[in-house]
Amino acid sequence: MKRYSRFLAVALLTSAAGGSFGLAAWADETCLSPYTASLVKGQEAYLHVWTLGEQGVGDESDKLVTIDVDPKSKTYGQILSSVSAGGRGEAHHMGFTDDRKYLWAGRLSDSRIFVFDIGSNPAKPVLVKTITDFEEKTGYAGPHTFYALPGRMLIGALSNTKTHDGVTGLAVYSNDGVFLSSHPIPLGDGGDGYGYDIAINPKKNVFLTSSFTGLNNYMRPLGSVVSDPEAMKRFGNTMVLWNLKSMKPEKIFAVPGAPLEIRWSLNEGDDWAVTASALTSKLWLVSRGVNNEWQAKEVATIGDPAKIPLPVDISISADAKRLWVNTFMDGTTRLFDISDPAKPVQIYEKVTGKQVNMISQSWDGKRVYITSSLLANWDKTGEDNEQVLRAYDWDGKELKLKFEVDFFGQKLGRPHHMKFSGPLSKASLETPVHAALR
Amino acid sequence: MLAAAVGLLTAALPLFAGEPAGLPPAPGTYRLDRIQRVPQAIVLEGSLIPRLLSHYIGGKITLFGFFYSYCADPEGCPLAWDAFEKVRAEIMADAKLHGRIRLVFMSLDPAHDSPDAMKGFAQRYEAGGRAVPWHFLTTYSGFFLKPLLRGMGEEVSARPGEDGVVLNHMLKVFLIDKEGWVREIYSSQTLDPVLVLGDIRTLLLEETALSP
Repeated sequence: MKRYSRFLAVALLTSAAGGSFGLAAWADETCLSPYTASLVKGQEAYLHVWTLGEQGVGDESDKLVTIDVDPKSKTYGQILSSVSAGGRGEAHHMGFTDDRKYLWAGRLSDSRIFVFDIGSNPAKPVLVKTITDFEEKTGYAGPHTFYALPGRMLIGALSNTKTHDGVTGLAVYSNDGVFLSSHPIPLGDGGDGYGYDIAINPKKNVFLTSSFTGLNNYMRPLGSVVSDPEAMKRFGNTMVLWNLKSMKPEKIFAVPGAPLEIRWSLNEGDDWAVTASALTSKLWLVSRGVNNEWQAKEVATIGDPAKIPLPVDISISADAKRLWVNTFMDGTTRLFDISDPAKPVQIYEKVTGKQVNMISQSWDGKRVYITSSLLANWDKTGEDNEQVLRAYDWDGKELKLKFEVDFFGQKLGRPHHMKFSGPLSKASLETPVHAALR
Repeated sequence: MLAAAVGLLTAALPLFAGEPAGLPPAPGTYRLDRIQRVPQAIVLEGSLIPRLLSHYIGGKITLFGFFYSYCADPEGCPLAWDAFEKVRAEIMADAKLHGRIRLVFMSLDPAHDSPDAMKGFAQRYEAGGRAVPWHFLTTYSGFFLKPLLRGMGEEVSARPGEDGVVLNHMLKVFLIDKEGWVREIYSSQTLDPVLVLGDIRTLLLEETALSP
């Protein structure tokens, strides 16, 4: 029975109007845009894996693979769905729209963006739209990061259509897939123009971007890149602090060695973010320093930088006390204690594969998922080219393997980025108000 | 060595030395995207006589939000209501803004929020109606509401609460220009009256620049 308190809102208004206005607390599923709805804070039900097609493997196309990850399900650990996008274009990262009804997935070589309906039935995503005008509208290439804004998608690119180096920018599309605006990453005055990840701190009206490399490098075999001194000069060495409202850069930080994923602390009152630089194997902290000025500071070393472990992905815990780091070359998953973010300390490590790339943890930190593929031309070859998803339980001391999916064995391809979906709620469909809305 | 091959920079490089980052930008120094059009809908204001939603959108800048009268989520309707109150107060205090902005609340629960109930809310704000009108709209039923929700990207679901049904909805407030384009969408994290007023003044400056 519905409670009839039609003037409750007025009472709340009266009391609220007397108080000071403050922006609401925010948190996310440890690495999503803070604008993302319906965070999965309990047991995730489905894991969506954006997968690179491989010649001679299955239908050879890039595809969105959905796996049952609910331990109570009869099909736990099994593949529920595989939706081919058509062709191969270096499938890479994905991001939810703010309402979490759609999942945008990008390709780095042909700049196509695929929009999957995952809200109607997350067990069976449906490809509903393909955006093909990214290069034409922006002049950028390689749409990489998909970061929800209210009603829009902010996209960070890796390259451009003219020189194919790392000079690039950001683009904003409406949730309907219509191009709205582009914003170049600053070049000159200390800026290298390069891009990679995006992370917004709405409370401070700022966001950060990081920097990787351009199409000329990421589509070329890694060995060839490393042996070419000129190519090695063309990696990002900066992070940029932007004004969120104006979408204009406000400060450039020198962060050598390709800073990649960025994670803000999710704790109320915290104003700091961490990133890992891939080539120099360092953790960096972006925070406020002297005179409250934003600064970037190297705070820890990951493995032995001389051995080039190549930290590729990081995952921050919901309480911002722990940070998982995957290093690709040595196939190692490391855990850092970042209770003091200025002094991270590694407290655990485990070899989780012959090559490991992405890492995603559940909101409660008890489950950790890893995938193996970095880039089609950068993955290892021969026996070391295992292509797997591995699901672990984390009890605070040890990663315990629960299941794995052999993506080559299942004729799928190379697994890369992962996103969770919760169970489809049936209870909400049975309520009278919802019925009235239908 | 790979790392040694990377060119190293050594210092943070402020683009605008001396200015703290993240301050609300000055009105007119930035651009707001034309995000989407507002769909047409049949709405009710104070009676069962149907009106077109476009009647409450065009010709002025509009701050538009969804609500329902019994909403108690502190990060939902009360937050929006508080922000609308503050924006309204600022507009009333600035004579140059009078008559150029309207506020609109649209009910998410037409089965409960009748035109009469909405009239009760509207009467509370009649005193400043000329400077900044505040319209409280509802519609006949979910059949009429749902296309509007879909068109505005407003997600609503219902769940049983302790004392009845609770509507879950993402807080979205829409800033709409006089041509009917949505130019900004605020969430619970960005619905800051300072930012909203900056955006309103940016749109007004844009109108001035475009006028012959």
